[in-house]
Amino acid sequence: MRPNRGPLMPMVIDRRRFLQLLGAGGAAVLVGACGSDEPAATTAAATTSGTAAPATTAAPVAIDFWLPGGSDPFCQGFVEVGEAFSASGSGVTLNDVLCGVGVDEDFNERLMANLAAGTPPDAVIIWSPPVVMASLGALEPLDGLMAASTYSQVENWPEGVLASCRWDGQIFGLPATASSYAIFYNEELLESKGISSAREDFPKTWDDLKAMSAEFVEWDGDTLVSAGFIPPYDGIESAIWSATNGGVLYDADQQRSTLDSDQNIEMLDYALQWLNEQYKGDWVALQASGNYTGGGYVDGSGRPPAFQGGHHAALVNGFWFASDIYGSEFSGWERWNVAQFPVGPSGTSTASGFWPNWCAIPKGAPNPEAAFKWLDYLVVEGMRTWFGKVPDIPTNRLAPDDLFPQAVADQRDDEFATEITQFFTAQLEVAAPMWTSPVQDFMHDRLYEAIDAVLLKTATPKEALTAAQEATQAELDSLLAG
Amino acid sequence: MGRLRRRRLSPLGRRQAAAGLLFVAPWLLALVVFHGYPIVAATYLSFTDYTVLTPPEWVGTDNYVKMWGDSAVWRAARNSLFYALLSVPIGLVLSLVLALLLNRPVRGIGIHRTLFYMPSVVPPVAGTIVFLLLLEPRSGLLNTVIEVTGLDGPAWFLDPQWSKWGLIVLSLWGVGAATLIFLAGLQEIPASLLEAASIDGAGAWGRFRHVTLPLLTPVILFNLVIGVIYSFQVFDAAMVVGGTTGEPGGSTLMYMVLIYRSAFSYFDMGYASAQALVLFLAILAVTAAIFGTTRRWVYEEA
Repeated sequence: MRPNRGPLMPMVIDRRRFLQLLGAGGAAVLVGACGSDEPAATTAAATTSGTAAPATTAAPVAIDFWLPGGSDPFCQGFVEVGEAFSASGSGVTLNDVLCGVGVDEDFNERLMANLAAGTPPDAVIIWSPPVVMASLGALEPLDGLMAASTYSQVENWPEGVLASCRWDGQIFGLPATASSYAIFYNEELLESKGISSAREDFPKTWDDLKAMSAEFVEWDGDTLVSAGFIPPYDGIESAIWSATNGGVLYDADQQRSTLDSDQNIEMLDYALQWLNEQYKGDWVALQASGNYTGGGYVDGSGRPPAFQGGHHAALVNGFWFASDIYGSEFSGWERWNVAQFPVGPSGTSTASGFWPNWCAIPKGAPNPEAAFKWLDYLVVEGMRTWFGKVPDIPTNRLAPDDLFPQAVADQRDDEFATEITQFFTAQLEVAAPMWTSPVQDFMHDRLYEAIDAVLLKTATPKEALTAAQEATQAELDSLLAG
Repeated sequence: MGRLRRRRLSPLGRRQAAAGLLFVAPWLLALVVFHGYPIVAATYLSFTDYTVLTPPEWVGTDNYVKMWGDSAVWRAARNSLFYALLSVPIGLVLSLVLALLLNRPVRGIGIHRTLFYMPSVVPPVAGTIVFLLLLEPRSGLLNTVIEVTGLDGPAWFLDPQWSKWGLIVLSLWGVGAATLIFLAGLQEIPASLLEAASIDGAGAWGRFRHVTLPLLTPVILFNLVIGVIYSFQVFDAAMVVGGTTGEPGGSTLMYMVLIYRSAFSYFDMGYASAQALVLFLAILAVTAAIFGTTRRWVYEEA
């Protein structure tokens, strides 16, 4: 029976009443949690700053900046550049920099979720090509902001690299850094075989490189104990090998995939023949023998790289490897150098490739002008700090040009480190078209599968590339039709 | 016999019903929001072209037609089926054997049980990395042991012929959970029945075959169903080993990886939803088929 409570009786809370209050309280908390966690002032600024440039005399505009991740020093570098930017009188400050997401989450996944929810950050660094993101409607065009900027006018970027940001006649990103590729080789190993280690004497054709490689290949039964050069096996680097053979993987002008072109089939035929001649035609045995395909890094099975171990003469990698090379212990040698890619049977000139860090502004970002001010500052003024944390070739022509990787200078000398940096910077001028397909990830996956099938001998080069071409073109047609 | 009439609840009964509903409301809410809605949404999205940032566009059965002709779907389905058909029975047998061993009254049994369960709480990615080291062809522990016998160990995750077997070996790392459930089942078996069987002359095998195993069939059913569901959803290990292309040679491309890459590498959410719905229906069908056989082999107490 319910107690009869008079006006002067103390309030009694029974179990049921307690649960009701608990439920109501919980609901209130839930509703509150679903609201914005932005302070009211920031929200107000967000709704207006999209149309008005931030005035330096007004309260500074605070922007959110996200990047996919990196080492602690790399992440800290952006905080330092951000502080310098804020102190420069820009009228813009950076909120906490989000550098990477949790292990259970993918950066693009987080970015797309925030875009879909209408809560994108103001500015981002992305590792997926702007062409891909723009084709999904994820980015703001930057043409107008670039034209009015201090540093980022179109003419200040190498066109080949900026092409990775062009979609539908507009520019959707700034390739802040773009380290180019080259062939790293062990000078001492070459000299031990009486081969000149001078860069200008490095093989200039695929045939010459294959012949040089043969000098170093040594098997002990089914175990490869020493390798020269491993024939092309990487999907991304294939763009370079294809270019040195006169081909391309994707024709951006015609918006057409060209994976199964004669030059590309010839490229994989050549790789297969090389595998047969020098590596017993056994891709599994080659990989099982040691870490010859980990690009000079410790591989997933914890094996140290054969290159630093002194039993792998040459490999392909980007400028970042000039510093990273010292991450694994050298065994009995120390002098390495870099050379340009040799030319294939159907090619006429060397080529290189690049792998950028792209800056972009997500679609619907609350403060695009302020965000672009930050990016414009970062790609030039911020480069000295960025390079000091993780050496990566600055792409903007106004960025400092006296940078060199300190790790290389420490191990060799300033002159070598500077020369290497200049070499890689020059390589950007012969860079093959890369990262220009709106279905880039799909294309790379199909190409990688094709190369894998050829090296594992489950398909001929023509069969594998035809299948990759058909799948990629269908995906491309579907996207373009949509 | 007259029709059953719904009994009107008294005021107290209504209050109690309301309180009961209040208690289960959080669970119901979570079920609807986090399970019901995604299933309904995925079903709808599977009939659309949807790339997250633009509204879904109805395309009818196009995504299902595309699946039919997509060789990657068939490859992933074959890989997943192979993995499920082998990892589930091997895991069941191993966990049952472990449970029988851990059911023996020996000193420090609590420590043993904890040790066998511990791998189940290790993050899957960390566990996979450990196995990449253990199964390294030249210096990995497993091949080193095999070489002692005079045989050459396989290249495991580098060889398309052996990579799925590597994943199956890896899956056994987590049998601790099933072992614990078997152990609970074993401890429910009345000692009197085992004693009676002994008195009737049954040996250890006889007691196991004719007493323990029949009484354990409900637990076997549970572990079988859960094992099948999980085996079709293997993701972390396959992703770490083979990436989105299922290297080497597509041999580790599992169905969940296929869904992931469609959704988050290619942002083709409509196609990914169709793939997810097919997986859901396939698992539902397999589970229903398993339940359809229970009359023949699962012991039910009257």
